[in-house]
Amino acid sequence: MINIKLSKQTMGLPMVLLLIVALSGCSSSASVRLNSEFPTVLAVPKPVSASIVFQEDFSTYIAQPNDKTVIDIGDAQVKLLKNVFAGLFDQVEYVTAKDQINGINSLVITPSVREVQVSTPSENYLNVFEVWIKYSLEIETADGETIDSWFMPAYGKTPDAFMYSKSEAIEEASIIALRDAGAKLMLDFYRIPAIYGWMMEQKILEESP
Amino acid sequence: MNRIFKLTALGLMLLVLGGCSATTTIDEYRSSTDLVELKANEQVVVLGRRDAGHYETDGEFIRCVSKRMKGADIGVVPENQFIDAIYPWFEPRTAPKGLPRLKRLMADPSVKGVVDQYALRYLVWLDGSTETLDQGGSISCAIGPGGGGCFGFAQWDKLSVYEAIVWDLQNLQEMGRLRVDSEGTSYLIGAVAPIPLLTPVKNDACTSMGNQLKSFFTAE
Repeated sequence: MINIKLSKQTMGLPMVLLLIVALSGCSSSASVRLNSEFPTVLAVPKPVSASIVFQEDFSTYIAQPNDKTVIDIGDAQVKLLKNVFAGLFDQVEYVTAKDQINGINSLVITPSVREVQVSTPSENYLNVFEVWIKYSLEIETADGETIDSWFMPAYGKTPDAFMYSKSEAIEEASIIALRDAGAKLMLDFYRIPAIYGWMMEQKILEESP
Repeated sequence: MNRIFKLTALGLMLLVLGGCSATTTIDEYRSSTDLVELKANEQVVVLGRRDAGHYETDGEFIRCVSKRMKGADIGVVPENQFIDAIYPWFEPRTAPKGLPRLKRLMADPSVKGVVDQYALRYLVWLDGSTETLDQGGSISCAIGPGGGGCFGFAQWDKLSVYEAIVWDLQNLQEMGRLRVDSEGTSYLIGAVAPIPLLTPVKNDACTSMGNQLKSFFTAE
């Protein structure tokens, strides 16, 4: 334990300024904007066509998991999902509203964010920052018939809280959570029972490798 | 008299510094007695396990081990470069935890293509962490009109435990396992100025793991 005792009389203006600068480093609020680029997914798309609806509230989404934390994930999540959907479907179009859909593609997917949660070392008693992003994917046929409403949680944590400011740590954990969302989508999308059933019905599985 | 004082001070310093060395134990298991072959054009990738809940094998340790191995003319592909090139199949959620899953993954021509593109022969999984086990003592620092200073004594023990598993990406089999345990105590002495006597536990673990992995592979 280190105790620092400061004599008030000896603290001049430079000392006060130094203290303010040092304490500002301990600020517990964080405002983060994610501008990260994501790698191209390594996958052969299945012969499925889809229209992806990125509504404005999704593409400009700013999460506020608590009073002191703001994470602007809109741009980054659109970039990531465009990348992942291109690896899932051989034909894909991106629109901002359902009325812009061309009507040729067989699936219509509308992603949305249900919730973003953040956990700091003072809350989880671990030496890591954690971020959870809970997505929901509304999956419909071109005729507007609902196939499934798929809940997709993603998780990211920093390797270590040491040497990170709160903003840097939350940014790092959020990027890892977004990458995890991409991995989850690639791994599980065609395993969703309703999607599997729909593909069997459409005889898509017989055509795909 | 002055000479006696100098010798005593030197002896005391050596004694204190001697106390700051880490104790490191290395265990190695090879699945066969044959030397692990690595051709000049073949490369290795060292990846950290990141699927545990309470800790994460840190990137700094991975880079440190990779650097040690590179020093021995072994081609090492940077971790991030490989993970991005093969995204999303080596993310914490999707990375193969065992050989059956690796075999399924390598059956995918696009994944195999990336492995071939980098001429990757071996994959080394590193799993572990460095933890502070015990800490004691107290040190106080004070600043006053006549100056300032720190007085007291603090100490803490650190333990690094790392395991490496080597997979052959050509024959899809496990080649061996290495485990490094490194433990040491660091001190902070407050004698007006704070004097840190740090034991480089993690660095020792990295050096030992890197050297052992170096000897694991034979360059042709």
